[in-house]
Amino acid sequence: MSERKGEVKLPGTKLSAKEMYSLLGLVESAPQAKYEFSAGPSLSKFLQGLKEGKILGKRCPRCGRIYVPPRDYCEYCHVPLTNWVEVPDTGVVHTAVVSYISTKRERLEKPEVVGVIRLDVPGYKEDSYEFAGLFHRLCIDPEEAKKDSAVGMKVKARWKPKEQRTGSILDIECFEPVR
Amino acid sequence: MEVVSNLFVKDRVAIVGAGLTTFMRRALETPRELAWEAARQALDQAGLTLKDIDCVVIGSAPDTFDGVHLKGEYLADGSGAINKPMTRVYVGGGTGVFVPVSAWWHVASGLCRTVLAVGEEKMSPAHPHPQYVFRYIWDPILHRPLELNLIWIFAMEMRRYMAKCGAKKEDIALVSVKNKRNALDNPAAQVAANITVDDVLKSELLVWPVNELDISPVSDGAAALVIASENVARQVTDSPVWIDGVGFTLDNQHWENRELAFPRYLNYAARMAYRMAGIERPWKEIDVAEPYDPFDYKELHHIEGLMLARPCEAWKLLKEGYFERDGELPTSPSGGLLGVGNPIAAAGVMKVAELFWQLRYEAGKRQVKKPVHKAVANAWGDLMQAGTVIVLSN
Amino acid sequence: MSWDKHGRLHDLVFWPEREEVDKYVYTPGLHGLELAKALVDGKVLGMKCPDGKVYVPPKTFCPDFTEGQLVEIKGPWRLLHYTVVYEDLYGNRLDKSVVVGIIKPDDADNGMIHIVNVDPSKVVIGMELKPAFKPKDQRKGTITDIEYFEPA
Repeated sequence: MSERKGEVKLPGTKLSAKEMYSLLGLVESAPQAKYEFSAGPSLSKFLQGLKEGKILGKRCPRCGRIYVPPRDYCEYCHVPLTNWVEVPDTGVVHTAVVSYISTKRERLEKPEVVGVIRLDVPGYKEDSYEFAGLFHRLCIDPEEAKKDSAVGMKVKARWKPKEQRTGSILDIECFEPVR
Repeated sequence: MEVVSNLFVKDRVAIVGAGLTTFMRRALETPRELAWEAARQALDQAGLTLKDIDCVVIGSAPDTFDGVHLKGEYLADGSGAINKPMTRVYVGGGTGVFVPVSAWWHVASGLCRTVLAVGEEKMSPAHPHPQYVFRYIWDPILHRPLELNLIWIFAMEMRRYMAKCGAKKEDIALVSVKNKRNALDNPAAQVAANITVDDVLKSELLVWPVNELDISPVSDGAAALVIASENVARQVTDSPVWIDGVGFTLDNQHWENRELAFPRYLNYAARMAYRMAGIERPWKEIDVAEPYDPFDYKELHHIEGLMLARPCEAWKLLKEGYFERDGELPTSPSGGLLGVGNPIAAAGVMKVAELFWQLRYEAGKRQVKKPVHKAVANAWGDLMQAGTVIVLSN
Repeated sequence: MSWDKHGRLHDLVFWPEREEVDKYVYTPGLHGLELAKALVDGKVLGMKCPDGKVYVPPKTFCPDFTEGQLVEIKGPWRLLHYTVVYEDLYGNRLDKSVVVGIIKPDDADNGMIHIVNVDPSKVVIGMELKPAFKPKDQRKGTITDIEYFEPA
């Protein structure tokens, strides 16, 4: 809308929430689809590793790069990844945030601290753009997480007890600061 | 990274018309009607009718917002695509700029002389809240069990940017203040307001460090462009706006494996577009920019990715007023997504439409102070993945 | 090229998931709202376009992008095409088969899909039908305010 003639009214009819729900002719419909996702060969083995209390990564036979979470193909060499390696479950906090809302946009009673953890996987330079890491919860006090010292903090995985592990990403309860 | 440098373009491509609907939280119109309203405006401005259009490009992001699958086919009659070649493009939020990019190659290849490019989004049908739909973009095995919210990922990026570059929340909030103020002069705006940095910091804390006023709202809306080859453009208008360069790149979905403070994929897309346009020093040669700003720090992030400022420098320049409408490199003179609204696919088209009007000196109260010759817009989409860039000139 | 695909299903982990959102709420649109009001009054609306064609139900815009004019559709309605449905959406056999048809009024250029309340053996293409509305207090402004079309 060019302003050659001053104020211009654009098409579009606004409704408030109340107006929309009391509209004549409104149709509601709930979808019924259910899904079953397969984890695929790489992630399945990764999840089995988590059940045993290990974090597994996959190494490229050509360039030697270790991927966590593991993939089926090397992104740069385009060869299938074949070698499984166990990687340390310690790392450094890359970023951390404190959430006060849930998935459904409702207020949480207790704030949750989550972040990206850069794992101590060999082969990556300290300031490289890419690294091996995981996204997970952090067991840090929310106020500590907001301080500058949180980024770069050393952390270690806290595993659930063996009988509670089911082969899912939640087998790691969270990452906590190394004392 | 090698980018395209050797292109045979059959016809130069220009934008000759643009149209917008109001952006609003809830619209009475069905998605088809929104697309029609925007498309008709664009055609009227260009002085063309539907008979003159050869092809149609439709951009609409996840079907799961509207609850109607096969969005391209659904929107087809509202976009004038019946009995015409129609392409639907979709790269999440990047769709907005990818729509004119796609229209560009339809014309540049010689396949079509005129293209009607429409971006439309209706987010209000989804309940309980459209944000819940974003749940389904996460990896089902590694991420969903942790029950995330989309805002977490932005918060993580923002935190990393703050930690690496030394920016504070007050500095980043200036973007929100600037854009909402710019949007006061935009008739399509949904959330234009005169706020202060304090208002932003006092608004509801969602996921630290993100507050309510740091993010753009959920919107319904549509925007359209008419794109034509040089012959047609010169007959239709005295001031066509040329599309000089296009770029688009995709990164992997593993955002937990990369440095979050710099969007490398956007940088590659920008280089591709600048190379095509023959721009070597974007920070000097670009006069006005519309970086994608669904969150306030994202504008700074993208300004650096587009090489309009050095990495970690954008927030300092912002404080000096460098990016205001009367500054050296105005960004988001339209008010951006923070001020006007964020219907996912239509927002990028709105930004390109704004640059179209700026380059023709038709933006009225929103016109930037300095003379404008070259402009760049970008959009970003998916899970920290897609970067799309377009370079325009008059 | 070889890869370590075991091909054993129980090595793979499956994740059950439910689709998308709780529900969708669709607005009727500009002409749709007028149609909804007319249906509550027991009438059907159509749209007249500059080239003289009349479309039912009304869609707000014509194929040439101009806005259409609302007109009342008075009929008479005739059956254009039909099919007989024996199973429901999930593949279960219906007790009573249903006839679904495209019914075109004489004063419009296209037809509407709806249920035809006629025994499948007695359906004839071109037969005259009329809409049977629900009682006024049950009408909500949606297409189901017309319960079915029946022989005139």
